[in-house]
Amino acid sequence: MSTITIQHLRKTYGAYTAVDDLTLTIPEGCVFGLLGPNGAGKSTTFKCMLGLAFPTAGTVTYDGTALEPSTFERIAYVPEKSVLYDWMTVAEHVEMQRRAFKKFNVARANELLAQFNIDTRKKARALSKGMKTATMVALAIAREADTLILDEPTSGLDPINQRHVLNLIINESARGASIVFSSHQIGQVERAAERIAVIDRGRLVLEGAVDDLKADRKIVEGIFPDESYALDGIANDPRIARVDRSGRIVRLLTTDGAADFVHKVEAMGASGVRIVDLNLEDIFLYAVSPNDATADVVEGVTA
Amino acid sequence: MTYVEWLRVRNILRVTAIILGIFIAIALGLRLYFNKEVTQDTAFINHVQMQPGSTVAHATLPDGTTRTTIHDPKDNTTVVIDNHGAYGRHIEITEPYKHADTHDGHVMMGSISVNQARRGDMRVTTIDTDSRTPFIFYMIAADVVGLLIATLLAAPFARESDGHLEYALTKPASRELLGIRTIGVDVAGIVLAEALTVAAVIICQAMFEMPQFDFRGVSINAILMGIAAPCAWYALIAAATASMKRGYGAVVGFAWPVALALGGLTLWSGYWTGSLLGAAIHNALWVINHASPLTYMSFNVTENHATGELIAPANFGVRLTIELALFVIYSALAVFQWKRVEA
Repeated sequence: MSTITIQHLRKTYGAYTAVDDLTLTIPEGCVFGLLGPNGAGKSTTFKCMLGLAFPTAGTVTYDGTALEPSTFERIAYVPEKSVLYDWMTVAEHVEMQRRAFKKFNVARANELLAQFNIDTRKKARALSKGMKTATMVALAIAREADTLILDEPTSGLDPINQRHVLNLIINESARGASIVFSSHQIGQVERAAERIAVIDRGRLVLEGAVDDLKADRKIVEGIFPDESYALDGIANDPRIARVDRSGRIVRLLTTDGAADFVHKVEAMGASGVRIVDLNLEDIFLYAVSPNDATADVVEGVTA
Repeated sequence: MTYVEWLRVRNILRVTAIILGIFIAIALGLRLYFNKEVTQDTAFINHVQMQPGSTVAHATLPDGTTRTTIHDPKDNTTVVIDNHGAYGRHIEITEPYKHADTHDGHVMMGSISVNQARRGDMRVTTIDTDSRTPFIFYMIAADVVGLLIATLLAAPFARESDGHLEYALTKPASRELLGIRTIGVDVAGIVLAEALTVAAVIICQAMFEMPQFDFRGVSINAILMGIAAPCAWYALIAAATASMKRGYGAVVGFAWPVALALGGLTLWSGYWTGSLLGAAIHNALWVINHASPLTYMSFNVTENHATGELIAPANFGVRLTIELALFVIYSALAVFQWKRVEA
């Protein structure tokens, strides 16, 4: 198992900055979800972690040691898009992995492929997008690696196989493997991940344990008698991450001490003040959405 | 680590074997079709034998050779045929020297050797069938196939960059080692394809005569050149495409026409090279052309008439060294670029 430390990672392509000063620590044995909108820099981060892209600045270390060829014995990677060789059969891919990695478990690979109903005699070009993803996941899991880096491991899969992949991730975690994965299916991340990081436009915007983030982040919602209410002393509180006004309704996104703000808002004359729990999707959207788009999010929360 | 490359090589060798198999089948068809002609003596000998007054004597020599002696007193022509069975025939024709335009000489084509010499008023023509074949003849065929296979296998790094780097570069081996091993696998593929070709040529030959090889003279050099030149050609294309993710097919496809055009333009020093610009272009092309391994390939050999040995040109060693150097340089360039590739 490895603790992965990313420090001040920066990756630029010409004038475009894909990852900007990203610092993260992925603890040993942790299931870590990396979230972000399209183009946020998740895949580039993974590539930098694996030496597939050379960082413009910053470092990535595994247990304090920079990535070296032997590290790949301990890391299995599933990229976002299929990298299977179209002209090779699935069985040949299995053989390829067996020859490359000492710990590759052929029986396990075949078992997983059977679970996904993948015919190993088929050439990769004959597989659907979801089957290709499933094949890559099976090949990665069969590596019995210490660290799994999975970029959209459920992409293209049907709900049954999505659930299956999620269970595999959880099982691998139970085995003690460190897992870093990204997904646009935030519900899946919420179910599997212990910690998450949200990146947006290459920058880290949120990071923490899922339970802590959910425990700390609450919406305090209240209804004022009219629209001319003031929030003096509250809006500037460092524990208030965001204030949304929608007519007579105010919603405060708190990062701590939600109960305190209930009393404060009530004292200002609001009625029906309540605390609304956030799920991970809400937290994610709050983290990456521009301020003017949050009203919709809050509507969703309160509905 | 290089299993994928082995599979590529295997697939190409499979196709090569099929094509060579077709050639063998064609040779077999020809052998059956021309069975009568192949087993008969030459028409000339038949003609002599049929002349009125001709005598034919048969004898078996101590080594098992069957000797047939035909004498035609009318034309004062004697034909001695020593039949060595599977090891061919030695035919000696002695006839009056009567054609002023006939010169002494030696002609060799594959396993057939014809020698003409004047002895007083007589001309002696010696024909050896199934004689030892200089290996260079096999290597010429092997080289053609080797160059084609080298072209097909070239661009191994670009093929990986085209959507497979996430597998190719996450193996527990350095990029340098992976690159070198990949080149090694492809070189093995080229050599195997050439070996298959030589085997196919020998099989085809064996349908008509017992193959006997002559490794003297240029043959060993030809084997070395036959391996070095396709490998250098492969390395050139590998280096040209190593940093490409797409479009490498165009490089591979145009490599031959460009190399041949360059060679042609370099040789062509007509009126256009008379001007300053023309000369500058010609010189530039000359320099570029000398970066191509095809420039140094040559089977332009001479023959030692006394021994029948084929002799390499004086600069053959230099050419071979350049081919090997180009292979090393281009391979190093390819691996260097491969090291810098990003997914």
